[in-house]
Amino acid sequence: MSPETISAQFDVYRYDPSDGTPPHYQRYTLELTPHTPVLTALLRIRAELDPTLSLRYSCRSAICGSCAMQVNSKSRLACETHVGPEMERHGRVVVEPMRNQPVLRDLVVDQAPFWTQYDRIEPHLKLDPAHPMPEGKTTMMTPEQVDRFKETPRCIACAACFSACPAVEADPAFPGPMALAKLYRFVVDPRDGAHQDRLVRIQPNGLWLCLRCHLCTEACPKDVRPSERIRDLKEMAIAAQGATENGSRHVVGFKDNIVDGGLLNEMKLVRQTYGTFGMLGQVVQGLRIWRKKPEVIHKPHKIQGAEELARIYDALDTDAEAPK
Amino acid sequence: MRMAYYPGCVAQGSGKELDMATRWVCRALGIELVEFPNFSCCGSGFVDEANEVLNVAINARNLAIAERAGLDVLTICSTCQGMLTLANVRLKDPAVKTRVAGALKPLGIEYRETVQVKHLLRVLTEDIGIPAVQAKVRRPLAGLKVGAFYGCHLLRPADEMAWESAEEPHAFEDLLAALGATPVYYRGRVMCCGFPIQFVKAETAVTIAGRQILDAKAHGAHAMATPCPLCHISLDAYQNHAAKAVRQPLDMPVFHLPQVVGLAFGASPEELGLSRHLVPTDAALAKLGAAAP
Repeated sequence: MSPETISAQFDVYRYDPSDGTPPHYQRYTLELTPHTPVLTALLRIRAELDPTLSLRYSCRSAICGSCAMQVNSKSRLACETHVGPEMERHGRVVVEPMRNQPVLRDLVVDQAPFWTQYDRIEPHLKLDPAHPMPEGKTTMMTPEQVDRFKETPRCIACAACFSACPAVEADPAFPGPMALAKLYRFVVDPRDGAHQDRLVRIQPNGLWLCLRCHLCTEACPKDVRPSERIRDLKEMAIAAQGATENGSRHVVGFKDNIVDGGLLNEMKLVRQTYGTFGMLGQVVQGLRIWRKKPEVIHKPHKIQGAEELARIYDALDTDAEAPK
Repeated sequence: MRMAYYPGCVAQGSGKELDMATRWVCRALGIELVEFPNFSCCGSGFVDEANEVLNVAINARNLAIAERAGLDVLTICSTCQGMLTLANVRLKDPAVKTRVAGALKPLGIEYRETVQVKHLLRVLTEDIGIPAVQAKVRRPLAGLKVGAFYGCHLLRPADEMAWESAEEPHAFEDLLAALGATPVYYRGRVMCCGFPIQFVKAETAVTIAGRQILDAKAHGAHAMATPCPLCHISLDAYQNHAAKAVRQPLDMPVFHLPQVVGLAFGASPEELGLSRHLVPTDAALAKLGAAAP
């Protein structure tokens, strides 16, 4: 018995810079089984209905990372996204190219922004001359050391995270989740001699632009969990360099604030982040908010038992993550 | 129903209108809010970035306070919900648990991990239930198209939050429909508001907020509603900057979750603190024929 088929509607983004028409969506309808991967459906469209459709793919087995695209607004691999659930949720399958990379044609994007950010983190081991690799040994890592970066080698560089990241979308300076997850992998690699330098250099216009929205972790088809590796990097960056950026000053200021009285003191935190002089830039907007919400400048009450927080902090202060 | 009320910092400060609306709605539904003057801030994701274990410990302390009273926790902020839940999840790691227990023990605090943390959105849609909410509606929000804006930490990381589909949530839209409003579905509803980097790089933060508001607007929303006061700061208090960043007028009223519920239940704009918003809510209220605040 052949499995039940459904009629699925595909609205596919089409764009050909050479023909002068603006980007548009083209509708195709296929009869297929619900478990058909979106990639298989697109290849059928190309073979049976429209040979002009351009897309990038290779292995069809979620190994090569070539077929990342947006399916109903979510960045994912077309080869492991099934048509049936998409039809159930949305009544159609909207297929668009990845975001945050210029479209070359149809579903094919220019991945240069993604790879440029990857190059920025210098993704190769920089051996410490003071600690050369022992001769004749293939590795100098213990299983525990390898375990610290067990997730990141799973990355297949599909760029789904880069496509899903709202910080990348709003600010091309942000390295993006994949580059930062890869950076983490080198920072915790005991063979690498440049961890301090790496942590210092990634901070300006880089690490601290992460929104910790976890959209990268949601998009990642390999469960690399980039947002968690970025969190680790932030903790290590503060341990390595102290609070030297708006981002790290805000984090450390926030922690001090809570350890001090238990609740957030908004004005005090802004001063800690920007400094007294830098705070002047916030005056106009601050007054605008204060007119409607006067509590914004009130010092919050100390919670009962605030001293407990200081004692918890003292007990755990040494726990902050060191690079190695 | 009794719950330990965890208002969070913002609702005790500049976002007082959220606290006012929460109390009004909970009174209407018979939810008793038990207050604890020793609850601390959840760390808002920032303390987690300074010291992961410290973040778990301060929230284990909060949860232990509720546990001693035998109560589950009610949150009204996506970030508080996320951080308190994350503490429960990370305590499953024996190494973390040992260190946290070691820091709390000298203070006579022990947390046995029995407390459930629930956001008001979940309590309204699961514990009270849509039919009971609907039964309280006196002024249906008919004609009002509302774009729900979830806030990241209510949904993600998905494995840890796990009460609603992170990719395609519908609890908030179900609630809005029960109140008589027309929910608006748009990509931005599960995106980030930009708040975490408001003090890192403001122009990037407000660009992100502006894009989500534009998206809601393009899908026909007359107003947005959020279960997170941090999102409210981005979307409402900084909307003037967001409009400049996206070079378009936005004029989008943004409600806190319990404010839309309260409006439908018949609360006055004063009782819900609507006049405290930076973007006037008059245009949205006019759709309902209610008096402007």
